[in-house]
Amino acid sequence: MKRESRGDESVEGLGPELGKLWDSAPVPKAPPWFATRTLARIRREESRVGVWFGLPRWVFIGFGAAVLAVGWLRWEREPALGDEEVFAALDAMVEEERENRWWAGL
Amino acid sequence: MAANQENEIDQALILRMGQGNEEALRDFILRYQDRVYGTVAKMIGNTGPDVEDLAQQVFLRIWKAAPRHRAEAKISTWVMTVTRNLVFTFCTSRGSRREVSDVVLDEEPEELREKRGPVTERSPREDLSGKELVHAVQLACAHLPMKQRLVVHLRQHEELEFAEIGEILGISELGAKSLMFRARENLKIKLSEFFTEPS
Repeated sequence: MKRESRGDESVEGLGPELGKLWDSAPVPKAPPWFATRTLARIRREESRVGVWFGLPRWVFIGFGAAVLAVGWLRWEREPALGDEEVFAALDAMVEEERENRWWAGL
Repeated sequence: MAANQENEIDQALILRMGQGNEEALRDFILRYQDRVYGTVAKMIGNTGPDVEDLAQQVFLRIWKAAPRHRAEAKISTWVMTVTRNLVFTFCTSRGSRREVSDVVLDEEPEELREKRGPVTERSPREDLSGKELVHAVQLACAHLPMKQRLVVHLRQHEELEFAEIGEILGISELGAKSLMFRARENLKIKLSEFFTEPS
């Protein structure tokens, strides 16, 4: 239903002259394929939701969570090095030094 | 009364859309496509791929928001508010109305430019061809600030009440009327370059 005040020369509208002019520039209508294309785009966007770089989002989230968990567990653990390991390493160093001297003819 | 019935139909469609019903979405698009497309085209000043893209984004946003929608405002007001948000963001990122005006100026057919001649030598309205008149109006429209342009479009083409226009723009009814008044004055100034108003 058209409003009667539309062409009023009051604050309500553009006035008869301007109103007529304004109406002379038609408002474009949506092209016939608009609805079909819009539906296709919405479906496309929907299928893309939850996918990053072609893989489901939960794969990345799971991987990230696993890395954090492993890092946290390892951070908490004290580095354990027994006396036997230390002495074994020292023995190996002495042995290596002795071999080197032997090869050098000392 | 008819507006209430229309709103009830819209509410029912939105409810079904919220449940993921694509048939309802199609119906909703068909109901609003001309209004949304027309508003976007009027606001950004052309009918190119940008218009289609923005109009599609409106429906995409509504589809996504449908499950959370509460029946507080009229659906048509909501649709126009979403349209306004997208269009204003687009225009701001594109460099506001100066570029919109440039788009319209660039689109002016060569034949019209030659035929019209300099502004000072322009003939009265009767001498303007239909195409030239349409172009003059488009040009004047493109020179309006975004809010004023939207107010004129919503009032003149969508025939909305100022209260609803104010709701769409997030301003008062009086504010919408004030914008309309300023838009009218600006249009008069711009269009007077093309012809002399009959006294």
